[in-house]
Amino acid sequence: MLLVFMLSLQLASYDTMKSSMLRIADGFGQFQIEGYKEDPEMDKVIADPAALLADLERVPGITVATARGTGFGLLASGERSFAVAILGIDPAREPDVSTLSGLVEQGRGLTPEDDDAIVLGDGLARNLRLGLGDHVALLGSGRDGSVAVDVLEVVGIFKSKVPELDRAFAQMPLARFSETFLMAGGVHAIAVSGEDLPDVVRAEPELRAVAARHGVVYLSWAELRPDVEEAIAADMITAVLIYVTLVVVVVFITLNTLYMSVLERTREFGVLLAIGMKRRWIGRMVWMEMIFLSLFGNGLGILLGMALTYWVQQVGIGIEGLSEIYESWGMPARFYPAMTPFRVLFGPSAIVLSIAVLGIVPYRRVLGLEPVKAMAS
Amino acid sequence: MDPIVTCRGLSKTFGKGELAVHALRDIDLDIMPGEIATLAGPSGSGKTTLLNMIGALDEPTSGEVTVDGQPLGGLSRSQLSDLRLSKIGFVFQSYNLIPVLSARENIEFVLQLQGVSAAERHDRAMEAIKEVGLSGLEDRRPGKMSGGQQQRVAVARALVSRPAVVLADEPTANLDSKNALALVELMRSLNREHGTTFLIGTHDVRVLEQSMRHIEMLDGRIDRDARGSA
Repeated sequence: MLLVFMLSLQLASYDTMKSSMLRIADGFGQFQIEGYKEDPEMDKVIADPAALLADLERVPGITVATARGTGFGLLASGERSFAVAILGIDPAREPDVSTLSGLVEQGRGLTPEDDDAIVLGDGLARNLRLGLGDHVALLGSGRDGSVAVDVLEVVGIFKSKVPELDRAFAQMPLARFSETFLMAGGVHAIAVSGEDLPDVVRAEPELRAVAARHGVVYLSWAELRPDVEEAIAADMITAVLIYVTLVVVVVFITLNTLYMSVLERTREFGVLLAIGMKRRWIGRMVWMEMIFLSLFGNGLGILLGMALTYWVQQVGIGIEGLSEIYESWGMPARFYPAMTPFRVLFGPSAIVLSIAVLGIVPYRRVLGLEPVKAMAS
Repeated sequence: MDPIVTCRGLSKTFGKGELAVHALRDIDLDIMPGEIATLAGPSGSGKTTLLNMIGALDEPTSGEVTVDGQPLGGLSRSQLSDLRLSKIGFVFQSYNLIPVLSARENIEFVLQLQGVSAAERHDRAMEAIKEVGLSGLEDRRPGKMSGGQQQRVAVARALVSRPAVVLADEPTANLDSKNALALVELMRSLNREHGTTFLIGTHDVRVLEQSMRHIEMLDGRIDRDARGSA
């Protein structure tokens, strides 16, 4: 029961963690010019984003793709100025890829009709002492190295609860971004999304093929956010240790019980040997008993585990006091387990298989029985 | 007529060196078909050990046992199982029935091991139940039967495979006098009707009185071997 629940919760939590963190800004995958991620220079652009976007519409599992430009510069208001990352987004498509525009707490997110609009993180707005309707000066470096200057109106303030984003991140319309940073139609990235992360992961070979055709590279979620993958891998080590320990404990408790039942029936086996039953028949009978009993026990455990998991799936599970920490990582405060055949069957199958293999111990004991000694026990 | 059981120079020693116990010493014995022979003697005289050797349940230290013309020496464990299944019937002091099976199923079990068809198993088991006087109790489990009834089931189980010899070790030891007498009568009548050979290890004077042959053991040797008139 516990094994079914644990694995369903653990792996579903990882899925939630990955999806939540990727959905804030990155998307489930990105196309870039090779080397842009390591060294994000302004002139490393995808020159013909429209053609790439058109190709991506035909990739199964990809529900939306959106172009982005990323610039770095200063936002200034009055005497104050702060270094920021400015993301040029397509207001029509971006909300389907990232959740940042949905986190606007004051004002509104960007719309396709916007021109000189900007949405700021709430930390940045506070630092610049800006409110809705205020204007902010942008000073950066254009694609060709010239100075990029613009004045934009604050139409929205978002609060992601990720301090780094809220302090140093802003969004503006991609068209205006292209003008300001002299992008000449180029973009720095095309982010993709799907119904679920696994859909996009499955589409990876085709996405890489598309990238190759357009002379760009495709970065999977793990390549985009190695920190997330490493965090999951680190957590997984502990989880696997706990899980394996639980499996080992269950296997040994079950084997011990079954082995004791074999020991208790030594006399009975002696009688069976005396009346002509062969040792290997008795051994096989004991082995089959073990497998059937473990199948029955595990079947019951699976049903109870599924019932528990289903219930928690409805109500969710949260850890008191940790919800703020989770939110600061862009994750929901409550986690919901999710069952798949693998998560439900892996643990119980490991137990049944272990018992089937370790059942050789009582089997060998039966093979070594002598009728007289067995009947005298 | 050839003996159904032959023992030649049979010895069995448990342990080694100074701790060695000579349970059987150079036994020569022939049991003829249709005999009811009793093995008597004080505790530790070697009755049970001799029955175990003849029943292929244990191996002698030296000597040879032959059952129904088949020498046991050199047979593999699997072949010994086959021999026990086909040629030897056992009746134990404490019945040793399988508690989760009914009387009929306990009897059928031996036939099942022999690969007898379900229909034939059923018929032969019912016939054996009738012979031991338990008709109507065939579906009862051992726990719901008296000691005497359980021992009758054990006799039926031993006989149903039509063995060459039935070995019984203290079959009446756990029975009251009435049931003990009834069991002795049963074995006697089965011997008369079917010529079944019985070799019975016992202290019970009622069994001894019914035997055709009385073998007295002492310190692992046959002290006396006398044929009676029963």
